[in-house]
Amino acid sequence: MKFSVAVLAPLGAGMLFCVLLSLATGNGPFALMTTIGQGAWDGAQNAASTVVKVTPLLLSGLAVSLAYHAGLLNIGAEGQLTLGALAAAVVGCAAGALPPILLAPLTLLAGAAVGGLWALPAVWLQEKRGVHEVITCLLFNYIAAYLADFLAQGPLGDGSAMARTPLIADGAVWPCLARFGGVGVTFAPFAAVLLALLVHAWLTRTAWGFEMMASGTNPFAARAAGVPVSAWRRRAFAASGAIAGLAGAFEVVAVHHRFYAAFSPGYGFDGIAVAFLAGNAPGWLWASSLLLASLRSTDKWLQIILGMSPNAITLIEAVLLLAVVSRTGWERLAASVASRISARGGPGPDAPPDVPSVAEERGR
Amino acid sequence: MFEFLCLVLGKATPLFLAGLGGLLSESSGVVNFALEGMMLFGAFAAVWATGATGSPWWGLLGAIAAGMLTGVVHAVASLKWRVNQIISSICLNLLAAGLTGMLLNEVYGVYGTSPSVEHLPEVGGGVSALTPLAILAAAGVTALFRRSAWGLHIRACGENPLAAASAGIGVFRTRLVAIAVGGGLAGAAGAFLSIGVLSQFVEKMTQGRGYLAVAALILGRWKPSGVLAAAFFFGLLDALSEWMAVRWMDLPQQLFLAFPYLACFAVLAFRFGAMRPPSALGRVE
Repeated sequence: MKFSVAVLAPLGAGMLFCVLLSLATGNGPFALMTTIGQGAWDGAQNAASTVVKVTPLLLSGLAVSLAYHAGLLNIGAEGQLTLGALAAAVVGCAAGALPPILLAPLTLLAGAAVGGLWALPAVWLQEKRGVHEVITCLLFNYIAAYLADFLAQGPLGDGSAMARTPLIADGAVWPCLARFGGVGVTFAPFAAVLLALLVHAWLTRTAWGFEMMASGTNPFAARAAGVPVSAWRRRAFAASGAIAGLAGAFEVVAVHHRFYAAFSPGYGFDGIAVAFLAGNAPGWLWASSLLLASLRSTDKWLQIILGMSPNAITLIEAVLLLAVVSRTGWERLAASVASRISARGGPGPDAPPDVPSVAEERGR
Repeated sequence: MFEFLCLVLGKATPLFLAGLGGLLSESSGVVNFALEGMMLFGAFAAVWATGATGSPWWGLLGAIAAGMLTGVVHAVASLKWRVNQIISSICLNLLAAGLTGMLLNEVYGVYGTSPSVEHLPEVGGGVSALTPLAILAAAGVTALFRRSAWGLHIRACGENPLAAASAGIGVFRTRLVAIAVGGGLAGAAGAFLSIGVLSQFVEKMTQGRGYLAVAALILGRWKPSGVLAAAFFFGLLDALSEWMAVRWMDLPQQLFLAFPYLACFAVLAFRFGAMRPPSALGRVE
């Protein structure tokens, strides 16, 4: 029962909210959901552009959930993704003379390396000065955006008036598996799902994965058992940044083939919702990223068909996220309803026990 | 020089008001990274209430009410539903970004920027009337913590909620009030952005200032005077970067735009003073 409450209640709440939002903006009760469903999946071209959005969303979500398993919250995926994309675009262009067999992995590696490096100051400041990583990540998101903007306009730009880098070499471009209308689908979304499953296996099936999870769920016990907790937190955060950087690199090699200013439309922030909607289980990220991709690929349709601001998507995302993380609230509600229904005489099932894990307890 | 000082005051006021709001919440033991969202809601409510009533003072009240309401949601979500306090904060920030952007379209039928409304009066030198009020609020918060039983209750809840509860203090109620009042201050900070320095609402106009306010709170080591000093310092950096941007037009402007965030990171990296947040901060009982 617990599982169904934890999954169904948020989804129900999200749908109910969509109906209310639809009515509040003067549309029919199901207009919003229909528009989202059709905008995302009606026709091969729409479906393809939704699937293409899965890659950055899933990888950002993977970045957030990996760090969260080590007890850290990475909301800097946006900045890491931006700079990772820039690095991939620069390497993909500058090292264009290399044979494709070297160039393709090198491009991705550049993105991952820069993303990982960009994440390190946050975990350093958290460890050495006790400043929460969320604050540093946020600062670094802004710094990354301005830095990338400057580099794309000036030293690394293609010389045009647009703030963008030159196209990457053909050898670095990922070939399309199929084209639907103007939208080409590459292997990238599948690679992202594969990577998430690999991380899932690593976390749940290896001793190192277990050590990392232990550093997050109960750092005191882990330390007592000889697990190098700080080292695991640093590694997890760097890996998280690297995955976010990889998300940017994939966007470059599979979709845009260059970097341009204002590269990410907020994929890094959506990663938080992707991660928590999947309960931070990497094995389920494909589902939550599909949901988020469906929402994100319809914002222009909302504007055209319903006259609604694209911000409605952010609003729905926030409500879904709040509904998912308020699990205790739902369980208490369910328990109190159940006890009211089940028994006049005997006591009903109790509310869930109040034993939060250490990871949940660690506020700062 | 006087002009520059007034500019610094203008830059420092929102950080300072929001930082005080965060101080109230965090002293009671609840992490508040939702200042960003509270400010954004406040900024929108200020413009809406000013437009609806014609008086920016009602706008200010509207902003305070919006901030308080956000604070109540944060308190209920994190204390009653046991959402991780940071996650709850980030949810609220996301909610604020989405809802204000959406309302902008629903209420005014525009995207990006709201129509102009009347702004709060100035007290001279381009300093908004909200700045002296903010300093009064700081005096109020200092007096609250130093002289009143209620201030002691808040700090007791932040240091050791179990002991506070056994001394007969209603921990949830105290925290709820502290977060709501703090939210009101953050809402006022938002009003400063929309109807203090400007006279309109711009989508995502807080630009990370809520997080800078938390940084000011950390830098000020959770003391009212510290928060005041840190906010003034950040205001100085912000004003300085604007001054430099005009002075060196030929240098890349992104450098000056990023300067406050870079400088904030640099000062947070310095080791000074005792880093002692409220003991129960972020814990779930």
